[in-house]
Parts: sequence; C-alpha cells; structure tokens
Amino acid sequence: MNYAIRHSTRYQYSGPVALCHNEARLLPRNLPWQVCGDSRIDIAPRPAVLAERSDFFGNRVLYFAVQDIHQVLEVTVRTQVAVAPRPVLDNGGSPPWEEAVRLIRQLPELSTMEARLFLLDSPFVRRDPALAAYARPSFPPGRPLLEAVLDLNQRIHREFAYDPHFTTLATPLHEVLENRRGVCQDFAHLTIGCLRSLGLAARYISGYLETLPPPGQPKLVGADASHAWLAVFLPGYGWLEIDPTNDCLPGEQHVTLAWGRDYGDVAPLKGVMSGGGAHTLEVAVDVEPLA
Amino acid sequence: MEEADPTVAIAEPRVMAAPAPSLFADYAAGAGGYDELRLPSGELRPHWAPLLGAFEELGLDGLGQRAEEVQRLLRENGVTFNAHDEARSVQRAWRVDPLPLLITEQEWHELEVGLSQRARLLDALIADLYGPREVIRRGLLPPELVYAHPGFLLPCHQSMAARRPWLVFHGVDLVRDTNGRWLVMADRCQAPSGAGYALENRIILARALPSLYRDAPLRRLASFLEAERATLAKLARHHQEQPTVALLTPGPGSDSYFEHAYLANYLSLSLVEGADLAVRDGRVWLKTLGGLKTVDVILRQVGDDWCDPLELRGDSLLGVPGLLQAVRSEGVALANALGCAVAENPGLLPFLPALCRHLLGEELRLPAPDTWWCGEDKALEHVLANLGQLWLRSIAPGAPLLDPSLLAPAQRAELAARIRANPELYVAQTPVTPATAPVLEGGRLQPRPLSLRTFCVVDPEQSGQYRGMPGGLAWVGPPGGPAIKSEIVKDVWVLAPAPQPHVTQLRQAHGPIVVTRDGLDLPSRVADNLFWLGRYGERLDGHARLLREALQRLLEQDQEDYQDDTLEDLLTALELEPPAPEEGPRGRLMAYRSTLLSLFGEDHPHGLPTTFAHVLRNGRAVRDHLGDDSWRVLNCLQQQVQALPLMPRAGTGRATLGEIITLLAAFFGLCNETMPHHYGWRFMDIGRFLERLLNTLDLLKLALITARNPGLPLWEVVLATTDNFTAYRRRYRSQLHPTAILDLLLFDEGNPRSVGYMLKRLTRQLERLPRHSLAPYRSAEARLVLQAFSTLQLADIDTLANLQRSAKAEAALAELLDALREPLAELSDAIAHSHFAHAEAPRQLIAMQAGAP
Repeated sequence: MNYAIRHSTRYQYSGPVALCHNEARLLPRNLPWQVCGDSRIDIAPRPAVLAERSDFFGNRVLYFAVQDIHQVLEVTVRTQVAVAPRPVLDNGGSPPWEEAVRLIRQLPELSTMEARLFLLDSPFVRRDPALAAYARPSFPPGRPLLEAVLDLNQRIHREFAYDPHFTTLATPLHEVLENRRGVCQDFAHLTIGCLRSLGLAARYISGYLETLPPPGQPKLVGADASHAWLAVFLPGYGWLEIDPTNDCLPGEQHVTLAWGRDYGDVAPLKGVMSGGGAHTLEVAVDVEPLA
Repeated sequence: MEEADPTVAIAEPRVMAAPAPSLFADYAAGAGGYDELRLPSGELRPHWAPLLGAFEELGLDGLGQRAEEVQRLLRENGVTFNAHDEARSVQRAWRVDPLPLLITEQEWHELEVGLSQRARLLDALIADLYGPREVIRRGLLPPELVYAHPGFLLPCHQSMAARRPWLVFHGVDLVRDTNGRWLVMADRCQAPSGAGYALENRIILARALPSLYRDAPLRRLASFLEAERATLAKLARHHQEQPTVALLTPGPGSDSYFEHAYLANYLSLSLVEGADLAVRDGRVWLKTLGGLKTVDVILRQVGDDWCDPLELRGDSLLGVPGLLQAVRSEGVALANALGCAVAENPGLLPFLPALCRHLLGEELRLPAPDTWWCGEDKALEHVLANLGQLWLRSIAPGAPLLDPSLLAPAQRAELAARIRANPELYVAQTPVTPATAPVLEGGRLQPRPLSLRTFCVVDPEQSGQYRGMPGGLAWVGPPGGPAIKSEIVKDVWVLAPAPQPHVTQLRQAHGPIVVTRDGLDLPSRVADNLFWLGRYGERLDGHARLLREALQRLLEQDQEDYQDDTLEDLLTALELEPPAPEEGPRGRLMAYRSTLLSLFGEDHPHGLPTTFAHVLRNGRAVRDHLGDDSWRVLNCLQQQVQALPLMPRAGTGRATLGEIITLLAAFFGLCNETMPHHYGWRFMDIGRFLERLLNTLDLLKLALITARNPGLPLWEVVLATTDNFTAYRRRYRSQLHPTAILDLLLFDEGNPRSVGYMLKRLTRQLERLPRHSLAPYRSAEARLVLQAFSTLQLADIDTLANLQRSAKAEAALAELLDALREPLAELSDAIAHSHFAHAEAPRQLIAMQAGAP
C-alpha cells in the first residue's frame, strides 16, 4: 500500500515563549517492508536550528529550536510511504516458550544480544509478578512461544475495554490491569510488561494505522491518529509485531514511525520552552491511501 | 606491642632503630593489620623519617594546638559539605587531621601509573559503549550489565565526535587492605568531587604548620591544577586562544557548593547555574548584565542525568535545555562528557581485566576486591549461598555498601528475594579489612580506617594520556563509605626526594580571593542575589536595631511600675501584633517581653533567624564574589545566630543584637573596601539603600504621625535606631524637636542616614548601571528615584513647622512621606525587570498523548 501521511501538531500558549528546544520522532523508518519518500517538514515560526539524526534504536529524530518569540507553534510533517506485507512467519519452528526464555540469554548471535535490552525494565514498563500472573494462562508449560503470544494478544483485545477517557500518560500499568481499560498505548505497554515479566524481550512501536470510514461515508480529514503496538523477540527468527488493540498481526495498514523500550523513547514530539504559561494542543493525522 | 611479623619486618628495612619518639609513643596500631605509621614490629615506617623530627618537636600538645588552628581556619573559610540553608541548623563542618597521610615517591609512582591506566581504560570503554558497542558484541560484557545500569543514557549514543575525550577527570576511591595493597572501591566518572577540598586542606595545613610544610619534601599541587586549567582550555572548539570556561554547579543547595565556588575561583572560571545558561544557535550562552556571552567549555559538577531536561531527566531544573544537542554539534565541550556514569558501575569490576587486555592491550594494574555481578547465573548462586560472608551493593551510582551479616534472618531473606527478582542490579564483594592511620582524636593518636580519593586529568601535553594529582582527599570511615559523611579528613602528602619550591599560584590563593567577572559579564542571577543580599542584610540590621531598642526599654522598666508607652509603638515598627491585654503592669510587661523575644524564634516569619537565612542564602549564591574576610564575618554572624537560644533572656538577646549589628556593619564595610566598585557591588549597594530608605520612611511616619503614644521617648528611639543621637546633640544642642529630627533624617543630604542622602546615592548608583537601549530616555528605575528626589527637594519645609500642634502640618508631612514612599516601593520590581529578567524556568512541553485504536 502507498500512503500520504500528514501529522500536524499545534501548540497555543497563553503567554509568549522566548525559546524552545524540541525533538520530533515524526519521520517514518525505512524498513525492508517499508520505503519512505521525501518528507516535507513545515515548522512555524521557522526554527533557527534544524538537524536530523538517528537515535540509539535507529529512529529518525528531528531536533529543532525556535528562537523567536512566539505564542503558537505548528509542526506539520508530510511523508509518502510504501508499505509491503511483513515477511511470513514459519510457525513450525516455534520452540516452547520456556526454551525461548533460555535461548535469548544464551544465543551468542548479534541480534539476540541486542534484543536483551528489551528484557529489562524501562521508565514506563516495570516487570511485575501481577503482570506475569495475568499472562500465565496464555503460557502453560511447553506451549510454543508463537501460539502463546498470539493467545495473549487475543486475550488482551477481548478482556480490555478501549476507553480514551480512562487513562492518561501517567496512569500506571497496574491500574490499567486492575480496571481492564485503556488505549492502544496502554495495551502495548501492558503486553510488553506481561512478556518481560515472563523473561521475554518486547519492544514498543509507534506509528499510524489506516482507518476506514463507515461504509458509504466519506473519510474525514484529520480523523486518523497515531497508533501504538509492539513486537516480541522470537529467538532464531527475530521480531514479531503484534497489535493487541486490534488483535491482529500488523500488516500493510500499519505504518511504522519508531520503536524503543516504551513510549518514552519514541514520543512523537517533546520540547522544553522558556515562558509560555498554560498551553492547548491540537493534533491532526491523515493517513491517505494513494492509488 | 604485638610480635613482629617476620616477613613484613624483612620486607621493610629497619631504618628507625631508636625507640619511638614521644608523640607517637602511645600510638597503638591494631594488631595484625596494616598501619600507615607503624610496622607490625612496632617501629615506625621509614618513610616518616623526614617528618618525624618536626612532628616530634610539636609533641601531642603542639599538634593539638595546630589542630585547633586548622579548625579555626576551616570555620573561617566556611567549609562544609552539608550546606543547609537554615540559619540555625547545625552545619557539619568536618575536621582536618593535622597529621597528613604520607605516600612514598615510589608507591605514588606505581599508583599514578595504575590510575592513569584506569582512566584510559574507562575512557575507551565509555567511547565504545556509546559507539559501536564492540565489547558487548564480542561477549566481553553481558548486555544486561550495561543496559540495566541507570547511568547508561541512550540519548548519549554517538553524541561525541571520535577522538574527543569522554572522561576528562577521573576520581578513584581506594582503600588499603591488610596486605598493604591499594584496592579500588569505586570510580567517580561524572563529576568527581573532592579535588577542591584536597586543595583547601593543603592550603590550610600549610598555614597551620608553616615551617613544617615549607621544609617538607613533598609534591605540590599547583602543577596539577595548571594542567587542569590547560586541559579545559584545550577542549574548546571555538575561541581557542581565549576560551570562556564555566563551572556548572547545581547551586547553593548542593552539598558541594562550597567546593564549586572554591575551585571556580582558583581556576578563574565563571561559576554558573543551569538557569544562567541558554542554548541558542547550537551554542551555549551565559546570561549576563551586558547580554548573552558564549561559553566554550563547561566543567560540569551536575550529574549526567540532570544536565538537559530536553533529552535527559525532564524534571530537572539544574540543567540547560538543548545542552546535549549543543554537544553533538560541537558548539560546546563538556568535562566530563554526558553519559560517563555508565563507567561507575561496580558490576564492571570482574570484567575489567579482560576489557583492559582488549581495549588497551595491557594487563590491568590496580586490583579491586573480588566482585561478583549477580546478573550471571553462576555468580548469583555463589552470592546467595554466601550472603553472610559478602558485602552487597546495588549497581546504581552512589548506592551504599551493605553488610548482610548485620541483617536479621528475615531481612536477609528479603534481600535475597530482591536480588533474585532483579539480579542484574546487584554486585557482591569480598569484605576488605582496611588499613589504619593515626588520627588525632580525644587528645591522642588513634588508629582509624582510611579511604583515599585520587584524581586524574587528561594530560594537556600528551594526547590520550592522563596525569594524577600528587595528593588527594583521605577520609576516616569504613571502606566504601562516602566522603561526604565523614567527620575527619586528611591531607595527602606525596613525598619527593627534596623540598620543592612553592609555586606562586598556590601562594596567591592565601590572600584575599580576587573578585573577577564583575563587569558586564556578571551573570544576571548574581546581580539579583547581590541586590537581595543588600536588602536582607539591611533589613536584618533595621530589625536588630529596633529590637535592641525595645529590649533596652524593657530592661529599664520597673516591673511593678510599668509606664513606658513606647513599647506598643515599637511592636508596630517591628510588625508584631500587640499581645492580649494582661492584668496589672507586671502582666503587661511580661506579655510585651515574650512578644518581643518571639522574634528570636526560628519559626517567626520575619524573625531574625528567618531574615538571616535569606542573607545567608543570597550570600552563598555569590560566594565567589565576596572577599575572604567578608565571608569570615558572614560565618561569625551565622555562629551568632546559631548560638541564640530559642527564647533568650532579654539581656542576652540585647547583647547578641549588638554583636549582630556590629558584624553586619563589618560585613558591608568589608564589601565596600574589597569588592571592586563595579556592577556587582552597585547592585548590593542599591539593595541596601533601597531597604534603608523604606525602613526610614516607615519609622518617621510612625514616630511623627501614626504613633499611639507620640512624643519624646519615641523620638529618642528614632535617633537611637538610626544611630544619630550623637549627631543630633552635636548639631542642635537642644531638646528633641520634630522639625530638627526631620531636618537631620529627611533633608540633610550629608547625613548617611537621611532620606536625602540615600536618594542621592541611589540616583548615582542607578546612573552607573548598564543600559540596554541607547534611547535618551531615563530608565523606569531612574524615573522612580527622580520622582522621589524631586518630591523631597520641592517640599515646602515651612508647611511642616509646628508639627506638634498643627494638624495641617501633620497632614502635609503624611502626604510628603507617602509621596516619597510610593515610587520607591515600585523600584525593586523595576530594577528586577530591567536587569535580572532571567528567562522563566524552562518547562516541559507535554507532548505525550495517546492515539486512537
């Protein structure tokens, strides 16, 4: 699939801002199944400094500083992306999950060693016996890893309610678990927490999902949104993406922006400013399929 | 004495055949251990020989006197690791032992080679971990050991250009074991502290033991500090001929703030806080009175994590937003680079020998205690099986050493469970029995365990090499304990073949601290602090004078026949609520007494301790702008305030107030004498005279208009609190008269206590402040002062005549005083707006928002 993606963020401050430094992870990654065309970046007021680099995870980071006094900051990134299906997974080779837990610590091969970063606690996701206990029914002894992971993906979709009013960024994982509700980001964190608590490696992925309007209705501009899912490391195979919010394996509709240990590593836009007072925020995302 | 251990006795030649001299005669080192002074045979170690004579001559008493002298010098410098802001809280100054730790030339040579190797090794390791991570890929380090360490900061990945040093300064904590080997207990890689204290200990000991120090064959520290300065300058990418180097401190709230101020002064660096700096155009700028000024190199004394709220800890107010990006684009150089905390991980210890072979192609020289990192299964099982025989610590920077054998079984089981849950976060070590050194305690020498912190800096002349400080900071305490908690520290003397000449730099620091950076490049924050130092100092003085006067009246009263009416008005002047009416004159007197004395209480919102705490806080924040003598006076003031009982007797209180007034006069007098009369001094002076003006106007209004009991006694108070009694008598030779008082305190421009004089002084000072615009108009603050000054000059003195009997004259005076006060009340804000307008504290943009399904 080919998409034209537009991601706009608009901050309005109650007071003047004299200086702000920002970091945006809004440029999609290039991957074997995802090819990005040129991006158009519009920032107003015009930043005095603009620099792109690649971070620890290989994500594309845009740093910019606005040095003129302003009360509104607008950031719009437009990118064309071609997404192909992910490589097909050969189910036959999936070892029992306990074997995978052992292997990930022992395989001397490079990708496995790098994956060990994602076994550990991270700022938004801490391993926890309660998370392990929740995951346990999907992971009976000897069950093949892939089967267990897909079962967990399905259970979270089934047992948790999507509720954009319940959680904020600061809602701790155990509250999400107790109340069985949240948004895509919570479900991704929760699943990562479950897997890590069992000794598996999992990472957070931010991106976009093409949404289809109800049959017969036109698609509204700006109605799409950013999305979050995760990937689990299968020793000997690599990373398998799963989307617990939709109980599916991400496919051509999932456009990958960035990945990291958790949301904190891939926040689309963060910044520190001097002055400004209170602010309001508007975000608009369009994922427009191209012929 | 224990029997000599023959092997050691043979190893150390017996140079000292004579019996131990008297000073050391009673010193009994512990049996079977290693002592810095005594051999197991009981004889003194031969390397003490060159100093024995001199110390022996001093004797125990002489040494005790020198120890007192050292303490006096320390107090004067205001040395404290634990700089609390509260004026009355006990500050834990440490003691500097008069006996230094002696290290032989040969031993030091070996140590220095080992220390500089270690610095090279850790620098190479850090560069690898934030770059290719070869050591992980090749299996030399388990990934979890690095990734689980809180010091491994992902944003620092590839943040430095190749071949730039990460570890510019390296500190190592060492402990000598019973075999006499120095073992590494910890690496200090972020912002190793203590070098400033080592320098100060040296200077103080040199002053307390002048002849002994002068003749002692020991290595001096000056060349190391010169290297430090040269290395910092060489880091600069811009302005390489004359780079601006700043020392970034967390501020006066930090434990080590004194050291930061001391080092900044010694090395002639700008002492700055995060809020003084801003990143613009990829460079770092210092906000000064004259505008923004670039900073090329930052010697940072703020922990890695706290340095950049954009990419590191978002809640940090100590850092500079965008700093890491400025480092990436080589707009500024940091010493040390951000991310170095990763090498402080004690879990690295068991892997260092192999890392050293791989990264440097050398054998690791400095040993460490046997260490197990619990993230490896075999190590974990060993540790859990031997929990009672090992020391344990978390790998987090600064985590304390635990001795599980001291824990109850239940606690130990809990610890084991914690380790099992997150094994990669723990290490265990073989306990170390530390060597002892003689320490003067309780009037005699006693053996105490000692730790040593050493320092290395990148060699400015040989790239890729390090140079050690021939000395360091030694402290008494159990191995692995923090220096910051120690009560006794020692200077460290590295012996040289012959006495070495003094180097001028060291001598220079004996004199008054030279105040620099006081022109247009004065940081705005410093100007702000100096202004408030002036205001609070003057406020304290005004309150102390009024309170002293009130207590004096109180003491003069006959308890059974109370009749002085001024007390009530004095309470008003001191902003105190009058006490509830009491029965009888005695009851009333006691009520007044306790109301007045409440101003000595710590919790009173404008009591003396609170006001002094403001003085001290602002004083500390400009420590490097005050002369040594002014600082000494400030310390005396602090001791006075600290020594105040919560509810002193009126007589004691009055006496202390007298002391406080004198010391404040000494403080400001010394500031006037020693501070260059540049902008910094001007701001302090403006603060003082603005405060005094407001207080004087209020007092005049009270005494002449609003008093409940106006008249002679109150007028006396006015003259007494302004210390103008003598001037009045000499000039008017008459009874007190309001018109004469007004003449003296309002109009006389020659009297430093008069409103006229103070307005003139403010006008002059404001005229000399930097102006930002070239517009021909007066600044807002100049207009306000001019308004007050013309009001005063245009006042019709005749309308004020006959004040006692004419309601019209009273109204005219009230109007005049109000017209004077109004513009002055706005002056403080106007000055702040024009000169101190630092940008607001940076805030986090909450960009984090959850998406749709």
